[in-house]
Amino acid sequence: MVNPILLIVVPLATAFFIPIFSLIWKGGSKYLALLAALFNIAVASELLVKVKNGPIHVTIAGYKAPIGIDLLAGHLGVVFALIISVIGFLVLIYSISYIKGGWLDRYYALFLLLLAGTTGMVLTNDIFNLFVFFEIVCISSYILVAYNQDSHGLEASIKYLILGSIGSTLFLIAIALIYMKMGTLNMADISDKIGGIDSASRMLIIVLLITGLGVEGALFPLNSWLPDAHASAPSTISALLSGFVIEVALIVLVKLTYSVFHATSILVFLAVLGVTTLLIGEFAAFRQENIKRALAYSSIGQIGLILFALSLNTEAGIRAGMFQIINHAASKSILFLASGYMILKTGSYLYKDYRGIAKKMPVSAFLFAVGALSLIGVPPFLGFFSKIQIIMAAAATGSVLNLWLIAAVLLGTIIEGIYFLKIVIVMFSGTGEELSFSGGAPFGAVLPIILLGLVVIAGFVFLPYLNTVNTSVAQEIVKHLSLAQLF
Amino acid sequence: MRKIVGLLLIFGFGFYLVTIIGPVVFPSSTGEKASVGVEVLKNEVAEVGAANTVTSVVVLYRGFDTLGEVTVLFLAALGLTLLMKGEKHLQAKLFDESFILKTGSYLLFPFMILFGMYIIVHGHLTPGGGFPGGVIIATGYFIIVMTSDVVRLREGLVSFLEGLAGLTFIGLGLVGLFKPADSFLFNFLSKGTFNTLLSAGIIPFIYAAIGIKVGSELTGAVGNMFFSPYGRQKDA
Repeated sequence: MVNPILLIVVPLATAFFIPIFSLIWKGGSKYLALLAALFNIAVASELLVKVKNGPIHVTIAGYKAPIGIDLLAGHLGVVFALIISVIGFLVLIYSISYIKGGWLDRYYALFLLLLAGTTGMVLTNDIFNLFVFFEIVCISSYILVAYNQDSHGLEASIKYLILGSIGSTLFLIAIALIYMKMGTLNMADISDKIGGIDSASRMLIIVLLITGLGVEGALFPLNSWLPDAHASAPSTISALLSGFVIEVALIVLVKLTYSVFHATSILVFLAVLGVTTLLIGEFAAFRQENIKRALAYSSIGQIGLILFALSLNTEAGIRAGMFQIINHAASKSILFLASGYMILKTGSYLYKDYRGIAKKMPVSAFLFAVGALSLIGVPPFLGFFSKIQIIMAAAATGSVLNLWLIAAVLLGTIIEGIYFLKIVIVMFSGTGEELSFSGGAPFGAVLPIILLGLVVIAGFVFLPYLNTVNTSVAQEIVKHLSLAQLF
Repeated sequence: MRKIVGLLLIFGFGFYLVTIIGPVVFPSSTGEKASVGVEVLKNEVAEVGAANTVTSVVVLYRGFDTLGEVTVLFLAALGLTLLMKGEKHLQAKLFDESFILKTGSYLLFPFMILFGMYIIVHGHLTPGGGFPGGVIIATGYFIIVMTSDVVRLREGLVSFLEGLAGLTFIGLGLVGLFKPADSFLFNFLSKGTFNTLLSAGIIPFIYAAIGIKVGSELTGAVGNMFFSPYGRQKDA
């Protein structure tokens, strides 16, 4: 059987190998990175088949949990590992033609560490191990945001660094409290013992965890770093950060709330917070003229929507949230990747300068429109099905508050529709004479966008399969973890 | 007036927080609690056979975390070199080195390296190990750099050592994946005689890899702060 630890260790080893390899063959590191991502896709898809027979539990160093560290590759972990490796692989293909400047070996090493860190976060069953991977993800994101070395990137990176460090510190304090109160770091063991501690400690631990992970998960008052960071990073990195990094932090937060701390009473607060995040993100995106900032704020809005769905405290809600995560990963990556070459060719971040770009770069512009429509939720794209599932799940809870929240979500959708259509209309109007450049994006950059576009356009064919997988993930999240189940 | 009200509000909220958090963080009774740590202390010598229990926790029980921590250090060094690209302002000397200072640092250098290696190799027996040992080695290099302007860092060698040490760590871990253990980082070597240099199975080897990695990373970081690592001038 394939050991899920390979999903973490192989990209890590490749990242360590890249500095040596670049001494032998300068410029060969991109192929190594591609190989590692391909390996992860293969392993993750094999595990996706295996995991149907129950979650795969592996111990590390041969010491049984809770003494040693263990990984729990359930549906959640494997589905996310697959999303991460697929998006990572496609963005790597795009990077080969897009990233030209800077220290390329280091770029690919950091890229792989980001993949390894996010994969580790969803697979691990140990809360301190989670923190270690969280740190790997955070630090590699700080560096990658500043990769272009321009003043915007550096400023955004410092801002991100400061907020992220505060978040990590709070997370670490929460872990210290957990170990102090329960004498264990294993998530399943914590889930067994959390009932035995006093409510004040429990509250403090949960509050610290939500605040700590919430910084990376871009919850409303803690997300001021995101628009700067996602807008100033290279487009490939924006695609990764928006595509799965925030989502991983969010899903881990939700998983801890449900299955480890059983804190379902806090979910109402999270749902309201989610809708607040959604409205603020969409309103802010509406006012942006810089295309990448608009996309970054739209990510905040989408994160709010996902959090709302995940916090409904029903299986249907989590299933819809997972669906939206998949849709957002594909659609937002398309948008960032498609806009990457538009920015490069026109030399402008303002979308009003893109008049007539559909004549020059028809494929990119068309797929940009597809991604935008899918995020708005226009049928027959994937986003329609996920959004309708969220609204139906929220309505099915029968609470009056959720009906108001649905109204707010719909309001957010209208705003989202207006600004995305505004951008798309600018792209498709005009004759193309206004733009002075010639030639579109190279094939290597268009190919990953086309593949992601196929997912969004033809995704509804796989709707039954997606629903089964997402249902298994939802069942896993709702169920309380317990040590006895693992052995 | 508003300031006073604000202060009072903050004070009140702070007092409220302290009354909630206080008993949580400083409980009145600190009795012996069942924890993972107690279990480890009880079984460590029989299971791992390292004289220094902390090391066995760092390298084996929670070795996967240590792999992550080494990666965090790798990242930090990587980020530093990447972002210091082309910056040369630190090349300015703080002071002119004197003959005594220079000779003294050259004399000190081999002993610091030796001491660092001693600390690394004895990690499973005495306090210390890969992390502090690596830092000592990097400090030795740092002293040389501070006092002399003729030393150039061989970046190729440093990144080679760094990558090799990381691969050794992961490679030793991967060996454990083979049957019958089937567990990453499994201690596949024999425990040896307690409290001797070659005991506790793979611990000394992993800790040596960590020491080399930490040492070369920090050396590289120090070197890169002083000499521009990227786009070095041809005449340099």
